[in-house]
Amino acid sequence: MFSFSDQIFLLLSFVFFIIGGVAILLVVYKNDQIKDLKDTITKMNRSFNELDEQAKLIVKTDLELNKAQEELDNRLNGLDALQKASRLISTTLDENEIFHRLNQSLMIDLNFEKNIVLIYDENKKLQPKVNLGFIQEEVNEILSRFSKDANLHKSLKEGLSFSSVSSTKQRREDILHIFQIEHFVLSPILTQNGIIGIIFLGNLTETSPVTIGDEEVVSILANQIGQSLENARLFEQVFRSSQALEAKVQDRTKELAQALEDVQIVSKTKSDFISAVSHELRTPLTSIKGYASILMSDKLGVVPDAVKLRLEKINQHSDNLVKMINDLLDIARIESGRQEMHFVRCNLKEIFDNIHDLLTPQLNSKNIQWALEIDPKATEVPVDRQQLERVIINLVGNAVKFVPSTKGTITIKTKLNDDQMVEIQVIDNGIGIEEKETHRLFEEFYRVENAINQNVKGTGLGLSLAKKIVEAHKGKIWVTSKVGSGTTFHFTVPLEHTEKVIS
Amino acid sequence: MATKIGIGFSQHLDSEIAARDAAFESKTNLNSDRIDIALVFATIHYNPKKIASVLNKVLNETKIIGCSTAGIILSHAIQTRGIGVLTMASDEMKFGAGAIPNINHQNMRDAGAAFARNCVFNLGNHKRQGFILFMDGSLQNTTFFIHGIQEVLGNVFPIMGTGSCDNFHFSQNYQIYNETLLRNSAVGIIMGGQVTMGIGTRHGLKPLGKPRIIDQSQGNIIRTIDGKKASNIYDEYFGQEAQSMRLRQMGQIACYYPLGIFLEHKQEYLIRNAVDFLSDGSIVCQGDIPSGSEVHIMIGSRDGARQAALEATQTALSHLGGKPPRLILILESLTRLKLLGRSAFQEIQRMKEILPAQTPIFGIYGHGEIIPVQSVEDQTQKTYFQNESITVIALT
Repeated sequence: MFSFSDQIFLLLSFVFFIIGGVAILLVVYKNDQIKDLKDTITKMNRSFNELDEQAKLIVKTDLELNKAQEELDNRLNGLDALQKASRLISTTLDENEIFHRLNQSLMIDLNFEKNIVLIYDENKKLQPKVNLGFIQEEVNEILSRFSKDANLHKSLKEGLSFSSVSSTKQRREDILHIFQIEHFVLSPILTQNGIIGIIFLGNLTETSPVTIGDEEVVSILANQIGQSLENARLFEQVFRSSQALEAKVQDRTKELAQALEDVQIVSKTKSDFISAVSHELRTPLTSIKGYASILMSDKLGVVPDAVKLRLEKINQHSDNLVKMINDLLDIARIESGRQEMHFVRCNLKEIFDNIHDLLTPQLNSKNIQWALEIDPKATEVPVDRQQLERVIINLVGNAVKFVPSTKGTITIKTKLNDDQMVEIQVIDNGIGIEEKETHRLFEEFYRVENAINQNVKGTGLGLSLAKKIVEAHKGKIWVTSKVGSGTTFHFTVPLEHTEKVIS
Repeated sequence: MATKIGIGFSQHLDSEIAARDAAFESKTNLNSDRIDIALVFATIHYNPKKIASVLNKVLNETKIIGCSTAGIILSHAIQTRGIGVLTMASDEMKFGAGAIPNINHQNMRDAGAAFARNCVFNLGNHKRQGFILFMDGSLQNTTFFIHGIQEVLGNVFPIMGTGSCDNFHFSQNYQIYNETLLRNSAVGIIMGGQVTMGIGTRHGLKPLGKPRIIDQSQGNIIRTIDGKKASNIYDEYFGQEAQSMRLRQMGQIACYYPLGIFLEHKQEYLIRNAVDFLSDGSIVCQGDIPSGSEVHIMIGSRDGARQAALEATQTALSHLGGKPPRLILILESLTRLKLLGRSAFQEIQRMKEILPAQTPIFGIYGHGEIIPVQSVEDQTQKTYFQNESITVIALT
């Protein structure tokens, strides 16, 4: 049997064995757990790392998107500003106002920190027209440095724009040297006649870099400025020309008005003179005619034939002289308005028939055919019958004078024109008048140079008187003619008269 | 009189005329004989000395605080050029304005405390409701300055602000206090009296990729991440692109892919823009970075940014107890303006959909925001320096 101590030993051994076994079991179990935990941590780390890799991808994509969004925003802002600036400067034709508006628009909308617009003056020197953000000393420095850079000048004249994003390093440094601004757009302002100035816009900080979009917008704006300035200058030129022209027109109008006044005075003086002289001439002429008649009537003794012949000449010339004086008096009266017209609605056919009766001896003597064509739409006109008959008699008398001895024709024709004027034509197939003389036919004392006129006496007042009478009827008179074919005298009288018409 | 609000804006090219026009328009819209406070934001296109002088005269020498900005938010537009003036007159609301110059030459914490005490003194014995400040956006690591303010106002007191900016020039920042032009400074107002402030703040950015640990940092500089130099994080994600972006377009990295620090129990990540890369591979941020923080690359989208604006507005309105807002003040990051681009105004339109019609909106694009971040557990808010966020302040 086992002693007590052995029993204790066995018991303890058994207990240790059990504890050891349990411990071994626990260690094995914990090891499994630790392994699981480690696996989990490894998995988690891997997941985190994978997550981080995904995050990096997201960041890179997001960065690209943000850049694109920023560029898009810049473009849209630029286009908005450009549209506003264009609208502002294209709605004025005043050069100073264009710069004033640019001042506002450039600063607020284009959102550049520093802007300057330089325009060449008459002496080809650049002058600042818009300056935002530069002090005067800086502007002077810019002008001085810019004037020394011939290469930049040349490139700008060729229409090239420059910016801190697209220019070569050398060019960037040149422009930085001139303007002292690192982020910029520099563009020429061009017109059809070439460069007229430059526009420079810039930002001082890295946080507001210039983009290609900015360069495009500024180039377009520069073109718009050039266009607007050109328009303003053209308008200024036109405006000045029109002002000069208007001043000239006013001067000429004054001169013409003065001349007209002078002419009217002269004309009135002439009419008054003719009237006075005519009156003074008519009285002694009447006496001369009277005495000649007495002498010819043999009441004072028989007058020899030779004397009688001379007396008849005196009588005849006196008659001519009286007629001329009467014509002159009539012209003077009509010109001065002293000759009152008595408008009566008359039948044209009656007037023409009456004249035909009156002139039948002359017509028959030359075997002239008489024809009448009256427009049925205008058979009656309000006229001073006596005066109108004088006109027609005068025109027909002339026609009789110039138609050939055989196959002569005179046609009286009327027609109603669209302007409600009745046109009366006296048409003959006479010798005709050269065109150069038709313009002077209605002048007083003017007689056409031709063989017939050299043999037939006349005063040169008949057509002038006819013109005055027609004009007193508010009508016009003119002539059309072809040498060798005949002449047509036209005159018009209104179908209706605004003045009082006696029915 | 209750509370009257007037907003004026001008884009005139001449600094003095623009300041005068904006101030007159604001005064006209205020329609009050008295002006209690004026907020002025001006883009860098204007001469600050000239505008400060003109504004002081036109606004009846009232208290003026303001700063330079990259853009002004208005009800009808977002303007990247101009001067905006907000004037307020109220029997119910009280304002304590103050300024602290040359912060960069002082102990930050002490400067923050002095600044807050100055504003509290000017507010007088009125109940404090909220603090709005504008500080130089080029100052780095302003966390201690905020701590100084919190020493005076308390850790849960709502402090909101933004950094004055000059559209990434980092040279033309300024602040305006009355007719004085300041640099490296902060200006602000404590609002008090019978006013309810609803504050909502969001950034809308989402974490991307695996979490990493900032194992060495010093203030606003991250030395190493996951045992490697900090800049490796950008190298890994952007490859060759990172190098060129570092050289040329820092703003773009900051804008689109900032760093996000996970905050326990907070609704959103704390955002840090990388404002510089040092030669040893360290990343310089605008705000402090606690060592041991979990950090992610963050990614934003236009839709996310708009949604954030909407949610910030909803949060701000939810704190008004159903009352309609009299004014909406917006403090927004300049990087969001860059991110949203042409569609920036769409977020204002989204906000207007849930605002009562005709609610006046006035805001600023700044560089670095100071915001109260709400806890998801207990509704308490703690002030943090933040980037890429929008803060909507609804006043009623």
